[in-house]
Amino acid sequence: MTRTKIDACIPVDLSDDDIYEAMKDIPGYLDITLSDFKEVYLRAYRHATDRLLKSLKAEHIMTRDVVAVEEDTPLAEVAKVMAQRRISGVPVIAREGRVVGVISEKDFLLAMGGPGTTTFMEVAHKCLGGGQCLVVPSDATRAADIMSTPAVTVTESWPVTEISELMARKGINRVPVLGPDGTMTGIISRGDIVGSSLVPETP
Amino acid sequence: MKYFSKMRGTTKSPPAVGVKEVFWSWLGAMLGILLIGCLHYLVLAGVDLILLIPPFGASAVLVFGAPKSPLAQPRNLIGGHAFAALVGVACFKVFPDCLWFAAALAVATSIAVMHVTRTLHPPAGATTLIAVIGGEQIHALGFMYAFIPVTAGALILLLVGLLFNNALQTRRYPQFWF
Repeated sequence: MTRTKIDACIPVDLSDDDIYEAMKDIPGYLDITLSDFKEVYLRAYRHATDRLLKSLKAEHIMTRDVVAVEEDTPLAEVAKVMAQRRISGVPVIAREGRVVGVISEKDFLLAMGGPGTTTFMEVAHKCLGGGQCLVVPSDATRAADIMSTPAVTVTESWPVTEISELMARKGINRVPVLGPDGTMTGIISRGDIVGSSLVPETP
Repeated sequence: MKYFSKMRGTTKSPPAVGVKEVFWSWLGAMLGILLIGCLHYLVLAGVDLILLIPPFGASAVLVFGAPKSPLAQPRNLIGGHAFAALVGVACFKVFPDCLWFAAALAVATSIAVMHVTRTLHPPAGATTLIAVIGGEQIHALGFMYAFIPVTAGALILLLVGLLFNNALQTRRYPQFWF
């Protein structure tokens, strides 16, 4: 992440001669040295890229049409929703509208593939090796039983750069976005970030 | 070793200005100092007031020779001269019998005050010095020195700077007021 950020934001490498020629183009005496100008330019460039990166916020790239499940939604229903919408995770909402957790494919694998199973390929490996395949969990029947909790959430004004750092740090693939009143207004998946241009379009 | 290598400098001198600019700077300074000089010698000669003091020559360098410089802007031109004059007179009044110390204290304190008030104006370093070593005539003015000649003269330079620099296509003045 840091690497791409640097690559995308390298300022034009001005030579002293470039600055000298530019100063000659401007009539009148300029009370500044070449090296002062260059330092101001480089620092201003850094401020500008910071500003642009921070100006792209959660509300600009989030998916607003969010499907969510409730705490006592049966797991079969959760799986059906995820399959139909072709999504790999859904937020879990409490009765009063608060986001209490997130259920992802990984949570299903953990519950149905046996202890420590977090990827589909581990399940495939066990099945093909003649071992036990997926089992229907007896003790987990509702969304609240397998969801990851507490939910990692952000607010609409979070800069996208910070959200991608948060996802990388927590090892998660989506974060619900909360509006000013604390209710969910959208969700951001890793795909939303990849699909967004880091420099926002001019309105 | 870093100490000595820092003395080598890091960059080259800014480019020279064109012939036209040289002429405009000349003409501007001519008009500015002419006006102050006329008032000094022709109008104020009868009364006990002076207007033309050397620091205005230095201010003219900035206002007409480098009008885009932050150091040449109205805030600096007026504020720098006014603060430095007050500081200079105060230093003389506190140490009237020790001019070498009063002179150093005045210049140093003026720079500090101009920094703090964002009014740094190099010619004001001379203004404050004159308050101390300017002789009987200046000493007799007391704090009046800060108003006439210093602030009044600076205001005249500002006026000429505004009228002259903005009449030219390649110039505008000021970059900022305050």
